[in-house]
Amino acid sequence: MLVTKPAAELCSLLIDELHGELPSRIFSTLLNKGRSTLPQLAQYTAMTPRQLRHGIAVLIQHNLLYYHLEPGSELAFYEANIDHAYNLIRTGKILEMVDTSFGAPAKDVVQNLLLSGQTRISDLIAAYQGKMDQVNKATAHAASDDPFGPETNGVNGDSSPKKPGLPVKSTAQLNSVICRLVEAQLIDVVHTKTFESPQDILKTVEKEVIDKHFRGGVKGTKAKAELESLVAEGLRKVRDESKSLKRKLEQNGAASKRRKLFAGAGTANGGLDEEVDPLLDPKQVIRINYEKCLVDLRNRRLVQFATDVFGETTAYVYGILLKLLTKDLARCRPDPVMDSRKDDDDRQGISSVSTAQILDNLKTSVDLSLGMGKADRQQISSRAANKVHENPPKKKTLIEEAEVVGDASADEDEDGGSNDESDYDSDYKPSANGTNGTNGVNGLNGTNGAKVKFDDSAANKDRRLDRPTQLRQHLLLLAESPQRFVRHCGQEDWTVDFEPLMGALREAELDWMIENTSGQQGLRLVRILRAKGKLDEKALPNVALMRKSELQQKMLEMQTAGFVHVQEVPRDVKADVKKSFFLWYCDVNRSLDRLLDTSYKSMIHCIQVLDLLREKEKDVLATTKRTDVRGREKDTMRKEYYERYSRFLENERQLFSQVMRLDDLVSVLRDF
Amino acid sequence: MASDASSANPAKIQVLKDALYEEVRQHGSQTRLFTQKDLLDLDIIPNNNISLLIQVVQGLCDDKLLVATANPHTGLAWRWRSREDARKYTSLPDDETVMVYSIIDEAGADGIWNRTIKNRLNMHEAVVKNCIKYLETKGYIASMKNVEHPNKKMYIVANLKPSERATGGPWFTDGELDTAFVEELQAVVFEYIKTNSAYLSSQGQPGGRTRAPKKGTIRGGGAAALDGSGSDARGTKRSAADISNDDDVVVTPAPTSTTGSKSKSSHMIYLPMPPGYKKYPTVPEIAKFIQQSGITNNTTLTEADIQQLVDVLMYDGLVEPITVNRRRGYRVTRAMKQDTVPFHQRQKERETGIGLDKALRLGPEPPSSALTEMPCGRCPVFELCGEGGPVSPKTCVYMLEWLGLEAQVKVAVPAAMVSS
Repeated sequence: MLVTKPAAELCSLLIDELHGELPSRIFSTLLNKGRSTLPQLAQYTAMTPRQLRHGIAVLIQHNLLYYHLEPGSELAFYEANIDHAYNLIRTGKILEMVDTSFGAPAKDVVQNLLLSGQTRISDLIAAYQGKMDQVNKATAHAASDDPFGPETNGVNGDSSPKKPGLPVKSTAQLNSVICRLVEAQLIDVVHTKTFESPQDILKTVEKEVIDKHFRGGVKGTKAKAELESLVAEGLRKVRDESKSLKRKLEQNGAASKRRKLFAGAGTANGGLDEEVDPLLDPKQVIRINYEKCLVDLRNRRLVQFATDVFGETTAYVYGILLKLLTKDLARCRPDPVMDSRKDDDDRQGISSVSTAQILDNLKTSVDLSLGMGKADRQQISSRAANKVHENPPKKKTLIEEAEVVGDASADEDEDGGSNDESDYDSDYKPSANGTNGTNGVNGLNGTNGAKVKFDDSAANKDRRLDRPTQLRQHLLLLAESPQRFVRHCGQEDWTVDFEPLMGALREAELDWMIENTSGQQGLRLVRILRAKGKLDEKALPNVALMRKSELQQKMLEMQTAGFVHVQEVPRDVKADVKKSFFLWYCDVNRSLDRLLDTSYKSMIHCIQVLDLLREKEKDVLATTKRTDVRGREKDTMRKEYYERYSRFLENERQLFSQVMRLDDLVSVLRDF
Repeated sequence: MASDASSANPAKIQVLKDALYEEVRQHGSQTRLFTQKDLLDLDIIPNNNISLLIQVVQGLCDDKLLVATANPHTGLAWRWRSREDARKYTSLPDDETVMVYSIIDEAGADGIWNRTIKNRLNMHEAVVKNCIKYLETKGYIASMKNVEHPNKKMYIVANLKPSERATGGPWFTDGELDTAFVEELQAVVFEYIKTNSAYLSSQGQPGGRTRAPKKGTIRGGGAAALDGSGSDARGTKRSAADISNDDDVVVTPAPTSTTGSKSKSSHMIYLPMPPGYKKYPTVPEIAKFIQQSGITNNTTLTEADIQQLVDVLMYDGLVEPITVNRRRGYRVTRAMKQDTVPFHQRQKERETGIGLDKALRLGPEPPSSALTEMPCGRCPVFELCGEGGPVSPKTCVYMLEWLGLEAQVKVAVPAAMVSS
């Protein structure tokens, strides 16, 4: 993550919001001054070493600092970990994601981990044990026999008026929940190298390799390449250390295999798992693995994108495909050094998923016949639809170009002969009981231009395709789109090329922004420039079919917003302004960078406004902190005060949700 | 030689003139250039007598039947002019008018700017003005407008039609881009593509059954918290619901809001066509449709013109090209979000006062961007805004307005900030 001024400011504010002012001040000093030792920090911040130690302890607990101890030196260097600091903003989203895919108990565990930073397993168990005892006592007192309260937030339970019920009911269940989260890579293990910054790790590994293999120095290109691969291997080894727990669990083959089959099946199976899961080493320290969380968040964002383009049914299928595909994918963006080789374990995570696998994971309640139009079989070219693209598209090819290339290779002319399209008959319609006949009757004839209304309900039963075919149709639809949601990489295999797809999403995100600020015409102009490259001011009106004056105004407006840029090319050496060419162009990356900074800054603004509101409602908020008021605000507070309080809460919600939504944008632009 | 030339009989020269003129006309169009050699090779002038040729050609030039032009490749050359045109020249009163007319004539279908005439002839402005006035009243020339230089006063020979370059093609009327015409036609083309590239279904939104996974995501936010306190927990919940509900909120009102006027369309929805669909409309098909519909009865639109329109729709993000078996068709984007009521019907509804609350536009609204929903995304002084600056978030009245609070903090309102 590039540390820009707004990003640094935002991260300090976030830490201030969550962990208080002391750590925040230390953190921002570290960001401003670079890596420093304790005495240096004391000098910069004018704080006592004691205060500093407290602050640093908090930061380290939450993995917000890197430290490095040179062998032989007395003082450690501290460095801000800005990636993790930014990740604080995603707390809510990660919890919600864990809740939907692993159920309430898992969410509870993750929430505790997020709140208390990295934790030893034994501590976690002890904390849960204590709480369970408490609840047991309470229920014994009240004699209320309702342990089921799935939505209650039993842990920090400050404002939940519901009955206290714990989502995690036994230490065995806790154990199994952790096991599952570890297997999903959402939790990983803290080891000694966790707190070293990537640069430090690289340096150490490099030094080790050179000491071991290249005592005489590195000479020649061959040796350099060898050094690189050895360093990469060393780095991978360090990285894999955090997965040690997962590997251990995987050795317990049968259990994990069975669990994989039921992945996502919800909490109902939790009870069954108990006996099988091995007891975890209580001394192991665990933490949340944000990188893997991002992979899952990305899947959700892509599903949302697909919903917008195709509708819910197709997007649901897509979600299943993504879930299967990214199960073993450790991070969104492969590391350029470590993941350069193709035969790496992590790369294999993103191979392909077969139709049958997806079919096995679809909910039976989902009706796949929805969400897609019907057409006469004669109007469908199954050969074109089933085109297989075995290789990922080359980098930086325009979508249109790719289409043309793919087309040229497929030498076919199907307008005349639709007889050769027997794919569907042989493979996907084992029981073709007169399906064709009905198709012909109420097929859509797009050519005559007349709108035909269909009686779907009547036709449905006769013309329903079997489920695998329907599934296939949805997948092919995804593959056919210009955004290239899916690549059809084998007759029955599907994969996703994330890099170009995320590029498309980023561009779409920018387009929405432009359309919302500059209107449809603004979007039109930007997309023309994107398609045609640099264009003279005089050439633009003809392409855009816009009046010159309107166009100039719009272009200036968008230039100030940073969506388009202008280049002045003098006609001769005199560089007369009147005679110069003015070429408009559009630099997508520059616009995106600017958009990213704007997002950071807007988040800062939100938090600052929240501060302002807190300041303004200070007296009200102070009242709510009193122990006799807390939890019973409505009854104990005066009406006028309570109204102010609830309005403040409303605003706080609005501001935080806005920050979350801005984070959605930032994730797309930066992390996915 | 000299005596020979001067002794030439005027009658003989007249005969030769007529013969040469007729012969030249036989040999090519008005744009062909004849060099001296070409003229001699016509075998009209006896003995290749050059001085005789000079006399004859000079005579023809005086009669405005031949026009001399200097061509860098061939040297001096001539082209012929029809007798009617020549008569116009000879009927003009004075040399100045002739010169002005000849310059306008030479400019051809592109026309010429009156300043250029003046500069070219180096004449006084009043003289040029007079000449032009005379020519205009005579009906020899007409003023015209060029789309590339809308402010320049241009003249053209009256019997010529301004060239395509000058008029700007079918999209221009009287030298102005006819935006109303373009927009109407765009709407027609868009409707055509929409109805022919998506499937109109009455099955409606995929019902509750498919929504199941989605509801799950909403349910989730129970205690999701940024800092673990209860109030924030609800904040997060709200945001999660907001995000996943976004599409529904923005789009579903479209069909339902019109139920009053059109109940039968309430459950209609467009669905994407199955993959490999071969009948996505192509540009020739659209052009044919436009032609047959007779919307443009007095302008003829070529396929290139229609392509231009479709391209604009594509740049607007409303349609996308899709190639199936090398057949490049166009289909509508985000089919499910499309309005099932045709655009023109919406227009009519607006005239009667229905649906005025929504902007009239082709295609669905773009998905809302998180940034533009808050004041900062549209703030013109965003760059200046910051703690301690002339404008700062803590003093921003628009933020408070957005939060539903009145600007209770009375501060100097940043003058530059325009209300959105």
